[in-house]
Amino acid sequence: MLSGEFHTTYAGDMGIFETRRARRLLAVFIVAVFAVPFVATSYWLDVANRAAIAVIAATGLNILTGFTGQISLGNAAFLAVGAYTTAFLANHGVPFIVAGPASGAVAALAGMVFGIPSLRLKGLYLAMATLAAHFIVEFTISHWEQVTGGVAGISIPSPELFGYAFTDDRRLFFLTVPTCVALLYFARNLFRTRVGKAFIAIRDQDISAEVMGVQVFRYKLLSFAVSSFYIGVAGSLLAYQARIITPENFPLSVAIDFLGMIIIGGLGSVLGSILGAIFLTLLPEVLRLATSALAGSFPQLVQLFSPLKVGVFGLTIVLFLVFEPDGLADLWRRIRNWFRLYPFSY
Amino acid sequence: MRLIRSALLVLCAAASVQAQQEIKVGGIFDLTGITSDVGKPYAQGVRDAVAWTNENGGINGKKIRLVDVDTGYKIPEAVAAYKRMVGDEKVILLNGWATGDTEALKGQVTQDKVPYLSASFSGHLTDATKTPYNFFVGPSYSDGLRAWLRWVKDDWKDKSRNPKVAFLYGDNPYGKSPIEAGRRFCKEHGIDLVDEEILPGSFQDATSQLLNMKQKGADYAYVNVTTTWVSIVLKDAKKLGLATRFGSNPYGFGEPLPQVAKEAAEGVTGIMVDVPFGENVPGMKRLMDFHQKNHPGDTHDTFYVRGWTYVLVWTEALKRADKAGKLTGEGVKAALETFKDYDLGGLTEPVTYTTTDHRATTKVDIYQVRNGKLTKLKQYEMERRPEWLGL
Amino acid sequence: MELLLQLVINGLVVGCIYSLVALGFVIIYKSSGILNFAQGEFLLFGAYVFLAIVSQANVPTVPALLLTFAFATFLGLALERVVLRPLIGEPIISVIMVTLGLSSILRAIVQGIWGTDTRPVPSVFSLEPIQLGPLPVARGYLYSAASVAVLLVALTLFFKYSRPGIAMRATAASQQVALSMGISVRHIFALSWSIAAVVSAAGGILLATMRGGVDGSLAILGLKVLPVVIVGGLDSVGGAILGGLLVGVLENLAGGYLDPVFGGGVKEVAPFVALVLILMIRPYGLFGKVRIERV
Repeated sequence: MLSGEFHTTYAGDMGIFETRRARRLLAVFIVAVFAVPFVATSYWLDVANRAAIAVIAATGLNILTGFTGQISLGNAAFLAVGAYTTAFLANHGVPFIVAGPASGAVAALAGMVFGIPSLRLKGLYLAMATLAAHFIVEFTISHWEQVTGGVAGISIPSPELFGYAFTDDRRLFFLTVPTCVALLYFARNLFRTRVGKAFIAIRDQDISAEVMGVQVFRYKLLSFAVSSFYIGVAGSLLAYQARIITPENFPLSVAIDFLGMIIIGGLGSVLGSILGAIFLTLLPEVLRLATSALAGSFPQLVQLFSPLKVGVFGLTIVLFLVFEPDGLADLWRRIRNWFRLYPFSY
Repeated sequence: MRLIRSALLVLCAAASVQAQQEIKVGGIFDLTGITSDVGKPYAQGVRDAVAWTNENGGINGKKIRLVDVDTGYKIPEAVAAYKRMVGDEKVILLNGWATGDTEALKGQVTQDKVPYLSASFSGHLTDATKTPYNFFVGPSYSDGLRAWLRWVKDDWKDKSRNPKVAFLYGDNPYGKSPIEAGRRFCKEHGIDLVDEEILPGSFQDATSQLLNMKQKGADYAYVNVTTTWVSIVLKDAKKLGLATRFGSNPYGFGEPLPQVAKEAAEGVTGIMVDVPFGENVPGMKRLMDFHQKNHPGDTHDTFYVRGWTYVLVWTEALKRADKAGKLTGEGVKAALETFKDYDLGGLTEPVTYTTTDHRATTKVDIYQVRNGKLTKLKQYEMERRPEWLGL
Repeated sequence: MELLLQLVINGLVVGCIYSLVALGFVIIYKSSGILNFAQGEFLLFGAYVFLAIVSQANVPTVPALLLTFAFATFLGLALERVVLRPLIGEPIISVIMVTLGLSSILRAIVQGIWGTDTRPVPSVFSLEPIQLGPLPVARGYLYSAASVAVLLVALTLFFKYSRPGIAMRATAASQQVALSMGISVRHIFALSWSIAAVVSAAGGILLATMRGGVDGSLAILGLKVLPVVIVGGLDSVGGAILGGLLVGVLENLAGGYLDPVFGGGVKEVAPFVALVLILMIRPYGLFGKVRIERV
């Protein structure tokens, strides 16, 4: 029987899981997730890995944009920094256990550099500065051929951990999903700490936060660093999963996709990042299934798939912003509460 | 309700087709990207030729099913499509498109033993010891550029100095593919390569590049992008009043060029791998019949013919592999490597593959636009030099 | 020297069109505080609609222009009413995302209807260049520069002397005061969106005739004007005009002198490098208004 919550201690109120039941349900859910590789086909595992990577990146972006209120259009660039760091390290024989975090660290550094304008810039102007960062990084990766392989791209050897090689998507699943779970746990915890609360204070009113003793610039930079670290790790996993990366893996549309994920999922919500990322990763796949099922009778659909994908993406974002501005996370909360308080759900 | 019923019928029909014995072949095309100008007719050629093959006996009675996808000229899209086709659909071979994704996947196809017939004529895919599963139907981009440079040398009448040549190429693997080969050829043959200009993937004007080229005084320029972008370069050159003589590659030159670039295309030379659509050669008859029967109102071009030649080559390979009882990726590769001067009825030059050399042919036809029509100038046969293999 | 001159002239001509599109941007930002990322798609739509009217319905050029502008007005009005108005007061990120979403939808519609092939535009100008002293300059370039100049003067006069123009400036200065003076702020928003759509359509048509063809790549202008408006300052009309010319020249100079050094691509990235530098030195652009925040 579901019921409302009643907390008797502050510790209970601040807990990561609201009830013991929630903890148990989550454990069951995680076990279920790890059963996926044994039933899914190789292509759907590819989709699952991409979804896990997207969840990491969306969580990172949500830390910066949703929780700290800093708009960044440069995520695809940080993703590229992470991916190319991994490509470089892996091709020099550095194992995943080092290359993954190192890619996050390099991306964090890049994030801090491009976060410096946030000292003086806000809102739209910051969006512009990070957009410029995107184009500058894109230019660099397509022209620094010695390191990045230029437009032809660079290939990456399979990661290994304790002698176990993650050669295909089935095996990689056991790398991406645990990394994703660990990073999600960290993110959930972050907002119970002083740092996380400082981020939220800056988002709500930066001048007031400063008056109250939050060192705004320091925390803004820190937020850029943490966020880019997440995106960098996502980039690293992406490099391992794609096996070959080119500048085309990181177009501006990727940054817009990530923003779309946190908008659809819900700004300032870890759960929202998960839901949004999974939703937007599955959307084109579902569309593809639908079009290919009909393509037999309407061959011109193959050609319409690309505009359809773009259009449905845009339409989803617009509809969510107009009708459900708090995203899937809020929708989920409302549905859950309705069931929890049933039949007295008014 | 009617809708649901018809949808069910379609599904049932699809299921019953599935039940027959069929051979799955993957198609990776560009229908919406920066090369879709030539990618669409090519894809249509492939689809039509598959339909024609199925109507005419299939592969020793087995039907072919083409599983195709539009990647929009994006390497990551193509890599994802490849995973889906080889992993889930279990296709026996792939009919690919772009240089970028073909070169990106060359290691993967070798590992998975999937023959990859790509529309990319990249010279990097000819060395069968390094890329044993990559094939294409025609002379390589590099041999094309070499032949064009040889034509420049023949065309150049002023013996007091060497001809000055510039390369304009796209900032992608396709654009850059033959450039190194071209540089070396110029050095060996007394042609002064005075300038190289890089063109972005899509652009509104090429004025700054052309002004630079003008500064260097190039007499000839080779434009290595697809038709739409070649025509922008040609028009801008005309607007700037340049006297440079332009040439273009097998995807920049074709019937659409004079149609799009109009008077700016006059006198431009280019490499034709396949004959123009409707050319009077024996192999054209089945194309014309299919065209008359299914879409008599459409216009087609050499890129459409190219799609056909690819299917004619790999269906022949499938037939040979099937006869040998080895209808697998490895078997098809082995069958392709038995091709010796395989004649396509004049649609393109006869095709030869060996276990060490995947250069289908080294004969290159140079055409020129005269009064808005494509006119054949000359055929060059390039040597099969060992050091040119894989370059 | 000749190269320099020619690059500068080309830059100025292309810059004119940037100015025009940037003006649409600034008008929307000034009146409603929205940064319209769908500006490039407005331009694309305008060019395609014009082409469809001219080549498929065989309408002569001038009525076709008027019809296109009427269509653009309608498009601007509809989008403002249906999509943007519910978002007044929402955080900036939502507003940015909604215009990005709109740009995706518009692009998809264009691609769905007209495909991705480059459609030739009936050539209005001969390709033979005009000799301007020692420099050959394309005819189309000169005519477009002239038409942009006319449009810019007309818009400046509109803002300076006409009633709605003055009302728009008043709204930009302070929405509350404008409201209390009896100006309908909602009408002003709608007006600014339709003006922006019309000037973008004009930019699209000019660009398409200069280039001789229309395809999806025209939408790139929507991104190119961002450095323009930042250089000039988001809320300065004069800044947008000057910014457009500056960025056009900068781009061509970078393309002419730096592309050969770096192996291409500098032409595209140079405006964004300038953007970062300018933001570091003058966070509100060269002519933008400095905002003082109070709690």
